[in-house]
Amino acid sequence: MEVYITGVGLTKVGRHFDLGLRELAARAALEALDSARVDKVDAVIVSSTLSYREAGQFDLAGHLAGALGLKGAQTFAVEAGDASGLAAVEAACSLIRAGSAGRVLVVGVDKLTDYVSSRVYRDLQRLYEAEVQALYDIGHAGVAGLLARLYMERFGVSRDTLSYWPAMDHSHAKHNPYAMLPFAIDPAAVPKALKVAEPLTLLDSFPLGDGAAALVLESEPHGDARAKVVLATSAAGYPSFTMNEDPLAPESVGEVAARLREVTGIAPVDVDVIELGDTFTSIGLILAESLGLSEPGRAAVDAMEGRFTLGGDGPVVNPSGGLKARGHPVGATGVYMVGELALQVSGEYPGLKVDGARRGLAVIASGDGSSAHLVLVEGVA
Amino acid sequence: MSMDLSVPETWRVKGALYRLEAARCKACGRIHYPPMPACPYCGSRDLERVTLPSEGVLESYTVVYAVPEGSRHKAPVLLGLVRLGRVRVVAEITDADPSELRTGMEVEAVLRRIRSDREAGIIRYGVMFRPKLKGGSRGG
Repeated sequence: MEVYITGVGLTKVGRHFDLGLRELAARAALEALDSARVDKVDAVIVSSTLSYREAGQFDLAGHLAGALGLKGAQTFAVEAGDASGLAAVEAACSLIRAGSAGRVLVVGVDKLTDYVSSRVYRDLQRLYEAEVQALYDIGHAGVAGLLARLYMERFGVSRDTLSYWPAMDHSHAKHNPYAMLPFAIDPAAVPKALKVAEPLTLLDSFPLGDGAAALVLESEPHGDARAKVVLATSAAGYPSFTMNEDPLAPESVGEVAARLREVTGIAPVDVDVIELGDTFTSIGLILAESLGLSEPGRAAVDAMEGRFTLGGDGPVVNPSGGLKARGHPVGATGVYMVGELALQVSGEYPGLKVDGARRGLAVIASGDGSSAHLVLVEGVA
Repeated sequence: MSMDLSVPETWRVKGALYRLEAARCKACGRIHYPPMPACPYCGSRDLERVTLPSEGVLESYTVVYAVPEGSRHKAPVLLGLVRLGRVRVVAEITDADPSELRTGMEVEAVLRRIRSDREAGIIRYGVMFRPKLKGGSRGG
């Protein structure tokens, strides 16, 4: 059974001090329902990673369904760390393909600005293995810093070259009305910014922001479909980055790329547009190389040479601005990605538009790299 | 500030955090840390507990300035990716100035305070690594 994306709702990522978690989620959800021109759904799936620690709400999906007047809907919460949003889309597709639901509302939401950043770092470090590793004060960026130094030393890549990755994200984000940081940055400013986890700085890291994004997925296109979901899959249970034989080549990401080839016959490099879960510069480079978009050690150089931007010879990567500049409201991010890709392949994207884009790919690895999630969407026109 | 450190949690992790207890897979021979019910490399549940060596090599390191709540007084926190024989461990580095850290340097395990909970009085200790002492010239 096909799965069509009929509705998309995106809020600007930022500091929504005036909106509670449920209000922010409702704003995206209502926009998605309106854009699909529907007001009833069979199921609501909420994707949120930090909300129960930050906002203290259990059964968020049930409360949200009530707030939206969606009487009688089945409700579920999906949490898969950094990749929660893609996992929620995967779950929605499974419900539809199994015939259990004809129309599903997926809502991703998180608020990271209601408390001081040091508290949020404490919560975010639980994205790593929390029974031993995260008992140390590794913060949210510690492992990404370790990987950045490994990367630089192994490939002889300079700190200045790394900076072209976040600069690429920012140069794309300046066109995105939903980006938290819609402005370009000078790559030379990156190493001089506030240090987060050396060699990484604040300009290598996703900003702490609030956001909500929503999708309506349906088994019937009913004339308004933007895109269809060709593949939504994930692979967990692999060694983490630091446990893996090669910390810079996570097996989990290799596995979802292999599945993409098996199911569709195409490789990541064959799609038109890609949104990557580049929480930090080092993670962005590792993802790009593990997906085969660049040779090992080359992703930052490729970004510098414009391979991943409009007019480059690779797929356009992170036209939204990526996690660095669109932002990473953790549980919402995957839903943003799929919404943005649906608008790209339907020609409606309001930011950096990839003309004629037919296929869009979203990939996020979990914080420790032990699992990876992938969604491929395709235009229906 | 209360950190609400859990007493049972602190007790549970003492093998891994105090003694570097790991698990060796009898099927594939790989060792993983911390020990889990099944081998993350091959899936076998035929495991035995082993203790990791207390000396190793620093494969990578970082200086964390974005330090979590409750530990800001420790900033910056030094963090290392340490190779102990065939296993890599992520742990804090101590007794070192950031400028003296180098990849490839020898390090050794020491037991140190990770965090304390002032109101409840819980103090959590764990293994950290310091540059290996040469001829006992440094205090421990």
